[in-house]
Amino acid sequence: MAKPDRKGILSMLQEFLDERFDISPASAKAETPLHELGLDSMMMLDVMLEFEDRLSIKLNDMSMPRDATLADVVTLIERNMGSD
Amino acid sequence: MSVRPQDVLITGIGVLSPIGSSVSALHDSLLATRSGIRLWQSPSLSKSLPAGVIEEDFAPRFSKLELPYLDRCSQLAMLAAGQAIEDAGIDGFAAHAQRAGLYYGSVAGGVKTEHDWVRQFHVDHLEVSRPYTIMASMLNAAPALISIRHQILGPVITNSSACSSSGAAIGEACRAIRDGHLDIALAGGAEAALTPTFMALWGGLRALAEPDLADVGRSCRPFSVDRSGLVLSEGAVFFVLESRKHAEQRGVDCYARLSGYGIASDGYHIGSPNSKGQAAALRAALQDAQLEPAQIDYFNAHATATRGGDPVEVEAIRDVFANVAATLPVSSTKSIHGHLLGAASAIELAACVLAIADSFLPATAHLEQVDPECDLHHVAGNAQADHAVEHALSLSAGFGGTNVALAVSKEHDLRTRTLLRSDESRS
Repeated sequence: MAKPDRKGILSMLQEFLDERFDISPASAKAETPLHELGLDSMMMLDVMLEFEDRLSIKLNDMSMPRDATLADVVTLIERNMGSD
Repeated sequence: MSVRPQDVLITGIGVLSPIGSSVSALHDSLLATRSGIRLWQSPSLSKSLPAGVIEEDFAPRFSKLELPYLDRCSQLAMLAAGQAIEDAGIDGFAAHAQRAGLYYGSVAGGVKTEHDWVRQFHVDHLEVSRPYTIMASMLNAAPALISIRHQILGPVITNSSACSSSGAAIGEACRAIRDGHLDIALAGGAEAALTPTFMALWGGLRALAEPDLADVGRSCRPFSVDRSGLVLSEGAVFFVLESRKHAEQRGVDCYARLSGYGIASDGYHIGSPNSKGQAAALRAALQDAQLEPAQIDYFNAHATATRGGDPVEVEAIRDVFANVAATLPVSSTKSIHGHLLGAASAIELAACVLAIADSFLPATAHLEQVDPECDLHHVAGNAQADHAVEHALSLSAGFGGTNVALAVSKEHDLRTRTLLRSDESRS
C-alpha cells in the first residue's frame, strides 16, 4: 500500500482512537497531549503495535518527547516508515 | 460487653451475586430462600454444570479507556466496592491518607484474561501479549484499581487462602482498625472464574455437583444425604468497616458490629479439611468476641455440599458448641448462592449481618433428608422470619487448611439500620 503522509497518519490515528477508546476525532487534535486524552504509556504501546500491523512496518525507534502529543506519535510513525 | 472507641462497625455493604446485585436484593433472596443457581454451558465442554452465574455483562458500565485493564473479576470488584462506599456515605478516602486501607481476597483474580492469553499463545501462536494483559490478569488488579479510583492510600493488601480468602481479608482489616492502625477500611472479595478452563480444572477434583435434572436451582444441597458436590459461582461483596469513634464522628448509622475474628490452620493436608483447625478458628473468634458458644444465635456454615467436607465441619461445630450444638441454628446459604470462592466468606458474613439487622434465620435450601453424619439443628427449607439474632458466627475453610471464623453482633449504642422487606419476600 502507498505510504500515508502526516495528514493521513493523523487521520488513521484519530479513527483508531475513536474505535478502540471512544476518543472522538474532534478532541484528538494533533497538538493534544496524550495524557489529556486519557492515554497512558501502555495504551500508546498498544496503538503502536496496531500501526505496525496496519502499515506493515517495524517500529524500531519508539522514543517520544516527554508529554508527547498526537503530532509526536505521527512523527514517530513517519520516522520509522522512512527507515523501513 | 463495654463499648470501645475502636470497636469495628459495618457501615456499608456492596453486593454483586447470583442471588442479587445489591444488599437489599441479597436480603430478599435470603429471606425467600431463592436460588440463583443456573445451568452453565460452554462450547468447549461437553458437560453442562450448575453454576451461580450473574447474567449481566458489566463491561458497558466502564469506559473503553478503563476496560483494557479490567478482567470481569475486577469489574465485579469495582462495582461492589463502589456500592459499599456509597452505602456508607463516603466521598473518597484521600483525606484519610494512610489511615484508610483496602483488604481483598480472591482465588483466581483475572483468570479469564490469563487463560485467554494462554490460548492465544498456544493456538494463535502470538509471541507477545497485548500490553495490558499482565496487569489485567494479576491477582491484585482489582484492589489496585479500587484504590486508585477511591484514593485508598494506606495498606492495599491481597489475600489468597482459597475459600477463606475474603474472610482473612475482612478479619485482618478488623484487626488493623481495632489495633489503632486504621480508622476505616474497605474489605471483601471477588471471583469471576466461570471459564471452561477453570471449571475443567475443578472437574479434575471430582467435587463439582451434578445438575439437578428436575430443577437446576436445587443442585447444591449441603448436609443433605443426596448431596453431590459444590457449585461454583461468581460475585463480589465488600464492607466498609470503621472504628466506632470514626463512625460517631461522621454521624452515620451501621448494620452491625464485627465482633470477632479467628484464624487457624489445619497443618494437615492441602486438599482435605480437618476439624481441629476449624474448631480452633471458631474458638479463636468466640474468644476474640468475648462470647460463649451458647450466645451464638445463628451459625452460617462453610458447608459446600461435598461428601467429605460437610461432616468434618459438623464435627468441628459439635466439638466447639458441645452441649449447645443441639440447639444452635445452622445453615449453609451456599445452597442458593453457590460457592463464591474468593468472595465466599464475604457473602456469608453479609448473610449473618442481614440476619442480625433484620431478625431472621437464613436457611439451607433443598435439605429434605439430612445426612446422619451431618446431624445438627438445621434451619432447613425456609428462612425463619421474626427471629431475633444477637450474635452470629460464620466459618470458612480453605484448601490448604486456612480456616477463618468471623463473629458479628447486634449494635446497641450506635443507631442501626435495617432493610425493608419487599412484599414479594413476605409472601
